[in-house]
Amino acid sequence: MKNCYEPIPMHIERVVIETSDASLKSFELTFNRKEDCEEFFSQYRPGQFCQLSIFGKGEAPIGIASAAWEGDFVRFTVQKMGKFTSAIHEMHAGDAIGMRGPLGNGFPLEEWEGMKLLIIGGGCAFSTLYAMTKHILHPAHRSDYADITALYGTRNSGLCLYKPVIEEWHNRNDIVVHQAVDVAEKDWKYHVGYVPAVLEELAPEPDNTVAVLCGPPVMTKFTIPVLTKLGFPPELIYTSLEKRMKCGVGHCGRCNIGHKYVCKDGPVFTLQELQRLPNEI
Amino acid sequence: MTNTRDQKIQAEARRLLQDGVVDVVIGFTRGTLPYRMQPCFIQEADETTCLEMNGLCSNNLAIYLNHRPRGERIAMVVRGCESRAIQALVLENRHARDALYLIGVPCTGILDLQKVQPREQDAILSIQEEGDQVRVILSSGEKLLNRSDVLHSACVHCNHPVPINADEIIDEPGLFEERSFDKSYLDAFRGLTLDERYERFREEAERCVRCYACREACPMCTCEECFVDHSRPQWTDSTICPAGQQAWHIIRAFHQTGRCVSCGACERACPMNIKMTYLTDLLNRDVFEEYGFEPGLDPALMPPFLTLGQDKEKFTAQQEGQHAS
Amino acid sequence: MPAKWISKSDLKKLLAQWQKKHLVYAPMHNGHELAFQVVKDVEDMVLDGFLNTRYPAKSLFLPQSEALMKFDGILHSVETDEKEKIIFGLRACDAHALRLLDHALVDEQNPDEYWEKKRAAAVVITLGCNSPDETCFCTAVGGSPFNTAGSDAMLVEMGEEYLVYSISKKAEALFQDLPQADGSKTQNARKFMKGVETRMPGLFPKQELHDALMASFETDFWKAVSQSCLGCGVCTFLCPSCFCFDIVDETVRRERVRNWDSCMFRKYSLEASGHNPRPTKIERTRQRVMHKFAYWVDLIDEMGCTGCGRCVRYCPVNIDIRAIATEALHREFEGMKK
Repeated sequence: MKNCYEPIPMHIERVVIETSDASLKSFELTFNRKEDCEEFFSQYRPGQFCQLSIFGKGEAPIGIASAAWEGDFVRFTVQKMGKFTSAIHEMHAGDAIGMRGPLGNGFPLEEWEGMKLLIIGGGCAFSTLYAMTKHILHPAHRSDYADITALYGTRNSGLCLYKPVIEEWHNRNDIVVHQAVDVAEKDWKYHVGYVPAVLEELAPEPDNTVAVLCGPPVMTKFTIPVLTKLGFPPELIYTSLEKRMKCGVGHCGRCNIGHKYVCKDGPVFTLQELQRLPNEI
Repeated sequence: MTNTRDQKIQAEARRLLQDGVVDVVIGFTRGTLPYRMQPCFIQEADETTCLEMNGLCSNNLAIYLNHRPRGERIAMVVRGCESRAIQALVLENRHARDALYLIGVPCTGILDLQKVQPREQDAILSIQEEGDQVRVILSSGEKLLNRSDVLHSACVHCNHPVPINADEIIDEPGLFEERSFDKSYLDAFRGLTLDERYERFREEAERCVRCYACREACPMCTCEECFVDHSRPQWTDSTICPAGQQAWHIIRAFHQTGRCVSCGACERACPMNIKMTYLTDLLNRDVFEEYGFEPGLDPALMPPFLTLGQDKEKFTAQQEGQHAS
Repeated sequence: MPAKWISKSDLKKLLAQWQKKHLVYAPMHNGHELAFQVVKDVEDMVLDGFLNTRYPAKSLFLPQSEALMKFDGILHSVETDEKEKIIFGLRACDAHALRLLDHALVDEQNPDEYWEKKRAAAVVITLGCNSPDETCFCTAVGGSPFNTAGSDAMLVEMGEEYLVYSISKKAEALFQDLPQADGSKTQNARKFMKGVETRMPGLFPKQELHDALMASFETDFWKAVSQSCLGCGVCTFLCPSCFCFDIVDETVRRERVRNWDSCMFRKYSLEASGHNPRPTKIERTRQRVMHKFAYWVDLIDEMGCTGCGRCVRYCPVNIDIRAIATEALHREFEGMKK
C-alpha cells in the first residue's frame, strides 16, 4: 500500500540539551533501514522539515537542523510546547521514533550562487538556518557564494542554540557572525537589542545580496520593514513560515495561505510571493 | 403585509437604536428560502423594518450573546426559551443583565419542517401561518395543516412560552397560559428496560457526524474549549465510532443537567435528524423531582449543580423560603 | 459516443445482474433519510422523488473516519482490498466533486492509495436531475444537472425509460448489450435537458468573483457575512468537495486515523504556540468561501463549489453561500480592477 502518511522507523542516537532552561533539545535520529537513509539524503535540501511521529502523541512538523555532510543522521531541535513535543522531550538515546520527510521546498540555494547572503535568525527558529549555514560553510560549497553575514538574536544567552558551533563560527574568516540578546548581560560580548533594531544598526548593503529570515512571527513582522528600508527587494527576501500541519504533503488542506500550502509550496517563501497571497500568517 | 406584532417589534427596535439605548438589535428576518428565517443583527434604526417573528424562527438567539464583542449593549427579541436561557446565563455570570434589553414575544411554537414536508423532493414553495392552521404549498400541491400537528416536539411540550424577566412584552400575554411541568411523555422512556434504553440511545447516536451543530446552536454551551477538543488528555475518540459518538451525546447531556431550557434548537440544527432532547429532558425531570428546580425561571436561584456545599434538603428549603418571600 | 437506452423495469434487471459480480450502491432509505448503501434488493432503491442524499457520496471514497495505519510497536499501513463497486444514482454535482477531490488527493510524489484504490475500484453512474430543487445551483458554478464530469456514465430519465450516455471504458462494458437510442429519442432528451438547464441560475462570472473576493479580504464585508455563523461543521461535512482531514492517534484501538475536519472549527488552524491565524469566525467564514470561489480558481481555473445546495439547505442559520457570492460581486472593493 503506497501510503505517504506512513512514518519511516528511526532511532534517537543522541540528545543534546541546547538551552539553559532545557526548553529546547536537539535530537539526532538515525535510520533503521539503509534504503530509507539513501532515499532521504537523495532528496534533502536545507530548509526542509519532517513530520516526527510518536504513536499516541501524534506528529509535529520540525525543521531539519543538520547538513547532509554531517553524517547519516538527521538533527531536529524541538521546543517543548504541546502534546507531541512534551513527549519527545521525555525520550532518550535508543528510543524508537517515526519520521516522515524530507517535506517542503527548502531554500533555493542554487539560485543564490555567486551572491552574498544575509542570514537572520531569531530564537528557536534558527534551526533550519543553522542547517543551511553548515551546508554552505562546507569546503565543497563555500566558494559558490560570496560574503556571508549572520545575525542571530535570542531573548538571553541561555536560549542561544548550538553554542559550541556558533562560537567556532565567530573564529572563521569566511563568515561574519553577529549575535544579539534582548537585554544586557554580564560578560556578553556582542550586540544588545531586538533583531530588527540590531539589523538597522548594522545596515548591511543590499546589492547582490539574498536576505534569509527565520524567526517568531513578531520578529519577522518587524524585520521585514527594516530590510525593505535598507533597499532589499521583495524577491530577494526569503522567510520560512510555520503553520499547524497534519499531513505535511498538501492533502489535508489545513496549512493553506490562499491557494498555496505552507507544507508543500513552502515553508520557504519570498516576500514577493507572500505579498501576492492573502495576509494570513 | 406586516402584522401588528411584527410592527410593534420593529417600532420598539427602532426606538432603542434611535435613542441610543442599545448598540445592536438581534432578531429574525426573512431568509433566502420560503421556509427559512435567519438571525439578523441591526445597528441602524432605519433598518429595523426587516424584523419578523414567526414559527419558522428555528434558532435560539441567546447563542449570540457569546459571539458579540464585549461591552456591546444588546437588545434581543426573545421568546420563552430564549429568555430562560438568558436568565440561566446571567446567573452563571456569562452576561450582565443590565447590558441587555429583552423585547419579549410570547411564543406560539416553532414549526417542524419534517412534519410539514414528508419528502425532500417535494419542495416547500410557501408556508403561511394562519392562526391555528398552517397553509403549505408543496410542489405536489397545497395542504392545510393543524398547527398543533406540525409543531416541533420541544414546543409541543413547552410549559413556559411567555418570556420571563423581559424588559417588555409585545402582544397580549393573557392569551398564553403557563402549563405545569408535565413531562409525562417521558414516562414511556422510563418504562423501558436498561437494554431497551441503551438501544434507543445507541440508535440515535450512531448517525452522529460530530459536526457539533447541536453544541453551537445551544445557548447553554458556552465553554471556551469543549471537552471534545481537549488533547491533553484526549477525553473522547474523535473518530466516528460508537464510543466517540455516544460519549459526545451523553456527556453533553450531563453537562446540561439543570441548565438546558428545552428549546429544541439542538435537534433543529442537527443535519442528521438526531433526536437528542429526550436525554436532557430526562435529566431535567430528575432535577425537578429531586430539587424542585427548573432552569431559567428564577433570577435569584442558582441551579443545584452549580451550588457547592449544599445538600438536597438545604437547597429545597432555601428554594421554598424564597418562594414564600 | 452515441447514447443507448433502457426501460425502467429492464434497468432494475440489469442492476440485479450487476449485483452478481459487483457491490452496487444506490440511494436507499436507511430508516431516517436517503443514503448510499449496498443494494440487497433492487426494489429498495429510491430513484423517483429523489433529490440527493443528505450525507455526501464522497464518504464512499474518503470515509469520514479511515484507519491509515495500525500500531503494534511501529505503524503499519492497513492493506485494503477494494472490491469492485458500482455507485449508482449519484448526482452530477457530487460526481464533479469527485474530480475536484482527485485534484486534491491524487499525487504521484506523495501517493495516497487509500483514495486512489477506491476510485479505481468504483464505476460512477450518475442520474441526471430532471427536477432540481430551488437550492440547487450547479449551473452557477460551471456545471449542469446533466454534466458528465466525474461520471463513468450518465442516465437521463425520459418517461418510462432512461437514456444512457456512456463515458468511460469501464461503463461501456456494463451497458454493452443495450440498444442504441435513435435520433428522436436523443433529440427529445437534448431538448428536455436544455429546458431544465435554462430554468436554473445563471453562471457566476468566475474571474470577476475571484477578483472581488481577493479584494474583499481585509474589508468589513466578512464581519457582516459571518455574524450569524455558528461555527459548526455542517456545511463542510455535507459538502461533496470539502476534503480537509485531521490525523489522530486512537490509542485504545491502536490506529492512526484520518477524520474529516472543518476550517470552521477554531482548533483547525490553532498553532502550538497559541497563535491562530484565523482566530475568529470572521476569518474562518472568509476562508471557507474564498477557498471555494477564489483559491480553487487560482489552482485549477475552476470554482471548487459544485452547487449541490446542501450547505444552503442544512445550515442551521440559513447562511447562503449563493447570497455571499452575489453580494461580493455587487460590492465595490478598493483595489478592484474594473
